[in-house]
Amino acid sequence: MGQRLVLDGVGVRFGDAAALEGVTLSVKPGEKLAVIGASGAGKSTLFRTLTRSVALGSGSVTVGGRNLYALSWRELGATRRRVGTIHQAYNLVPELSAGMNAALGEVGGLGRLATLRTLLLGPDAGLSRRVEGALQQVGLGERVRARTADLSGGQQQRVAVARLLVQRPGLILADEPFAAVDPVTAERVMAALLDLNREGATLLVNLHDVAAARTFPRIVALREGRIAFDGEPKDLTDEMLAGIYEGDEKRVQHEEEKLGSRRREPMRVAEGRDGVSAH
Amino acid sequence: MASRPTSPPGLGGAIPRFSWPVSLALLVILGLTGWSAYGVGFDLVELLSGGGAVERFVSEMFPPDLSAATLRATGVGILETFQMSFLGALIGAIVAFPLAALGTREAPTVGMSSVERLLAAIPYHVARFVLNVFRSVPDILWALVFVVALGLGPFPGMLALAVHSAGVLGKLYSETLETVPSRPVEALRATGATELQAFLFGRLPQAMSGFASLTLYQWECNIRSATILGFVGAGGIGQQILISMNLFDYPKVATLVGATIVVVLLVDRFSAAVRRRLMS
Repeated sequence: MGQRLVLDGVGVRFGDAAALEGVTLSVKPGEKLAVIGASGAGKSTLFRTLTRSVALGSGSVTVGGRNLYALSWRELGATRRRVGTIHQAYNLVPELSAGMNAALGEVGGLGRLATLRTLLLGPDAGLSRRVEGALQQVGLGERVRARTADLSGGQQQRVAVARLLVQRPGLILADEPFAAVDPVTAERVMAALLDLNREGATLLVNLHDVAAARTFPRIVALREGRIAFDGEPKDLTDEMLAGIYEGDEKRVQHEEEKLGSRRREPMRVAEGRDGVSAH
Repeated sequence: MASRPTSPPGLGGAIPRFSWPVSLALLVILGLTGWSAYGVGFDLVELLSGGGAVERFVSEMFPPDLSAATLRATGVGILETFQMSFLGALIGAIVAFPLAALGTREAPTVGMSSVERLLAAIPYHVARFVLNVFRSVPDILWALVFVVALGLGPFPGMLALAVHSAGVLGKLYSETLETVPSRPVEALRATGATELQAFLFGRLPQAMSGFASLTLYQWECNIRSATILGFVGAGGIGQQILISMNLFDYPKVATLVGATIVVVLLVDRFSAAVRRRLMS
């Protein structure tokens, strides 16, 4: 079920600035790994290459044995359907109900007629049951009909997890999924992601929290678009970490705040710096 | 003596209050004002001395004609105006929607060839062109066209409103669609949704309340326009006003104009209240 990933010499440029350069990485099916790095190091861009959401400057990306950037539209759609994403900013459609948002995990698999049916009448019986099950699993069973915009941030992130559960992807890309939610939700989201991984899905998580990243068997660190570390957490020394986060003042501030109080602050990344808002 | 700044202190000191482009723009505006005033024969004396005629006109309007026949004619005219404006807005919205969807620029998909890009741009430009033609021709000109083609009456007036509304709404709809937050749409596409699906489930739901508000506003504008369209024979209360004017029946004109103002204000209030609720 899990998908193998191979990145070979991947380079991505936004105008003059290199977001990724010479990134070579191989991930086995069903593996789980954490990606760390300073703001603007290319973590989000790395994830976007895995769904072909950004133009590739050089190198190649292989997902499940197929060259992602050489696929036809139809094949790309089929490949993307097996990739689940979850973001810091939830990226749900606020006007739709929680249940509809969760059902959208399946939308890529619908034909034209089924798409119209779903648009006008809502998901069919089978999909509805799965949506209800998924929302129950994340503790939102009674909020199926609630407007997503009326849910709290933590609840919205759980809806995003429910969307993953409906989709059952072979590859999960979690882009700072805990940055804007409370610790209880963070734990719950993490547990759900690990469950999916145990069932075979390959799991990649972008993390700002190094302590959380150390719980993963493999850590990949990016610095200025290049891989600065790739290995087990025990080999990641403090000096290396200092080098990875060197010059990232936000990070230093973040750490200082954490020493003062254990409250989690939502991380705000300057527009365009994380490579996602740049489009 | 301490060294002085090299340039002599000019008007406004070291930091000029107005930059050159601003000063130039002011000059241009002044020039245009004088030229236009000359062109239209702007004359305050004439405006003030015309008071007598206006006074006569207004005093002849009172008391307004409140006879049963006039009230019936007013009611029929108002209803007709209302129906024209409503159908015009509705049909305009229905026509505008697909054109707006086509006339919305999507972020270019990664990995598209230049030929594919070109082909994708054709419907966009065609839709934008059609909308521009619909919108830039004023509704009263559309009414003239339809009156010549279909004869007098409210139907050509309604068609004129529909065409103009379609142009205005199409442009505003596509602007709304373009400014909707794109991340949820991207997220859908990244999990394998087709362009159509990403549009229907990601972009459209986020734009719907904006659509409703814009359509209501257009209906409001249509009510105002519909009162004028009668002047070219395209039905509505305007036609009654014109006829009464030509018959020098000023008391009747007063009733018709008064009723028009009341209805326009009512619709204005109603639509503003609904739009406030939509936006919150």
